[in-house]
Amino acid sequence: MIREAGAIFKRDIKKFLNSPFIVIMTLLMPFMYLVVFGNAVGGTISYVPLGVVQEGPPYNYTSLFLSSVPLLSHYSQPDNYPRLFDVTVYPSESDAKNDLALGKLEGVVVFPSEISSDHAVRLYLDSSDSTTPPVIESGVSSVLIQQGAQNPLLVDKIYGDIHYLTFFGVGIIILAIFTSTSFGGGIAIIKDRENGIHEGYLVTPVQRASIILGMISSGTIRAFLAGFTILWIDLLFIGVVVQNIQAFLLVILVILIVCVGVTSLVVAFASRFSVQQEYQSVIAFLNLTMFMTSGAFYPVLAMPGWLRWITVINPEYYGIHALRGILFREQGLNVIGMDLVALLIFSTAMIILGIVTFRRTLE
Amino acid sequence: MSGQIPTGIITAAGARITPDGDRIIHIDHITKVFQERNRKVTAVDGISLDVYRGEIFGLLGPNGAGKSTLIRILTTLIRPTSGTASVGTYNITTEPEKIRSIIGVCPQNSTLDVELSAYDNLEFYGKLENVPDEILPDRIWELLEMSGLSDRAAMKVQTFSGGMRRKLEIVRAFIHKPLILFLDEPTIGLDPEARHEVWQQIAKLNAQNTTIILTTHYMDEAEKLCGRIAFVDRGRLIALDTMENLRKLIPAGDLIEIGVMKMDGRVVDAIRENSLVNAVNVLEQKVTISATNGSSLLPALLGIFERFSLPIISISIRTPSLEDVFIYLTGKKLDSGSEGASAPEPRGRGPS
Repeated sequence: MIREAGAIFKRDIKKFLNSPFIVIMTLLMPFMYLVVFGNAVGGTISYVPLGVVQEGPPYNYTSLFLSSVPLLSHYSQPDNYPRLFDVTVYPSESDAKNDLALGKLEGVVVFPSEISSDHAVRLYLDSSDSTTPPVIESGVSSVLIQQGAQNPLLVDKIYGDIHYLTFFGVGIIILAIFTSTSFGGGIAIIKDRENGIHEGYLVTPVQRASIILGMISSGTIRAFLAGFTILWIDLLFIGVVVQNIQAFLLVILVILIVCVGVTSLVVAFASRFSVQQEYQSVIAFLNLTMFMTSGAFYPVLAMPGWLRWITVINPEYYGIHALRGILFREQGLNVIGMDLVALLIFSTAMIILGIVTFRRTLE
Repeated sequence: MSGQIPTGIITAAGARITPDGDRIIHIDHITKVFQERNRKVTAVDGISLDVYRGEIFGLLGPNGAGKSTLIRILTTLIRPTSGTASVGTYNITTEPEKIRSIIGVCPQNSTLDVELSAYDNLEFYGKLENVPDEILPDRIWELLEMSGLSDRAAMKVQTFSGGMRRKLEIVRAFIHKPLILFLDEPTIGLDPEARHEVWQQIAKLNAQNTTIILTTHYMDEAEKLCGRIAFVDRGRLIALDTMENLRKLIPAGDLIEIGVMKMDGRVVDAIRENSLVNAVNVLEQKVTISATNGSSLLPALLGIFERFSLPIISISIRTPSLEDVFIYLTGKKLDSGSEGASAPEPRGRGPS
């Protein structure tokens, strides 16, 4: 019995050591979890864009306004942390609220014309993410308390109370798209390669572009079905609300474009690999990095600067940002248009990468 | 014996069979070296040869001789390390797309999608090969008919036997009526009946003016199908000629075996006197004579035995088989494999 067990042991170890790529990836994964997951979730929210306005008429700055602005600008919790707010002074309340609606600001503080207990300091919050508003609220109120201001703080969550589950539910649509593509479509491509089916059609006049475009379009349909299913689960059980038919169609458009982007990425990767295990370890790595930095779990504002840069090239970030814009903030194409442009640029780049790197020969 | 093994390529003069007279494949000093970790393996070693329009050309050699690698180079799946080749009028390295549209390929390992039906497999390929939609369905049924699979058109390929899969794969390679058909070990692993059917199919396809290049390590297959045969061993071309001419490479010619009750030394001397006889060997009650032209020698031999009143129990004459020629040229049997030289033929590798 020992002898046979030894034989199996030896075979497994030999195979393990013969694939250095997988060995490295398996060691790298926990480390990446520490770095990416550890920094992306539960970090300190900082540099929150905040607008401040002096209420009028008259539009003369009160002493409370003048002393609060520098205090807010330098406020951090605790003291050695990066500052909480990026403060911008607005000339009028409507300008500030407009930027809040467009998602350029996370909150607007309106200081009253009189310093007294019957004139409230009004705080308008972008409540489409459930983590940031309480942090802003506590920051603003501690600055007021610090000065011994009499004025009460009146908080207005402009999108109402959105539960974390609802907030997260939108992110899951994107996760579903990624997992269905990478573990469904991507592995199917590699299995075809392993089974020699690719060899069969590499000897035909079919061009790389045809192979890649064919794979991406079929993958997009499959990914879309996954995303669409999760959307319905969100609508029926998670409390996500679609306001009108235009919003619904816009959501469908965003999901479709995300599908193209994510599928293109997966196909570009899958067509480089011929061993399932290697592909899977790379995909697990990509999944972690992309999902964690997408803002699905936790606001991007809480990530350290270097991690925020990943979001710039992360299609999932744009997808989630656009979906939350439509579903929670009732924004239209004018706001989410930029997200769609970013997604289309990403998709195009990935399609080109896939076509250029697809191995037309067996070497 | 080893001293007699000729080096270089043997081509008996005037042995070229050129049905239409023009060559369709020209291979010029093709070499392929695989880098395997820190060891280099030469799978194809400076092979040069021509294939002529309309023939069935056989690449014969043991497993690992480099036949499949050569086919993969000609079908644009891998690039040669050095040397050039042209298929049709196109160069394999500079015009691979052009080549892909005039060839049909049936690789050694099945590339059928077993989860699809026979019809769907053919339809998929027809589209990849640019067969026009108007004629594709008819073409598919024609091929299914040809391979005897019409009644299984809608069945998944995974339910098919090895022979049925092979026949389907061969007709699939023919869906766009290619100028040249490459068949890599078309009957490997098939039972005798299935092999016979595959052979018939290959002959049918050749009758439609298709040039066919097949690799095999079966002697009978090469003998049965091929007009000209190239012996390949350890990546090198050992000999190339028609079956008939290859047989002539053995100086011994035919082998005559005569069984007798008892033997007389004078008989042996008398046999040796004949100019056609190369060697006489007596082993107990059996005389083995190798002669240049066995059948014309027989009457003279019978006369000698009669002269000395020695009764003959049995007599047999056989021409040396292709296998005898191969053993003579390489010093080893065909199905023994070439030791140490078996080249890895990976389907693909991970990112490097």
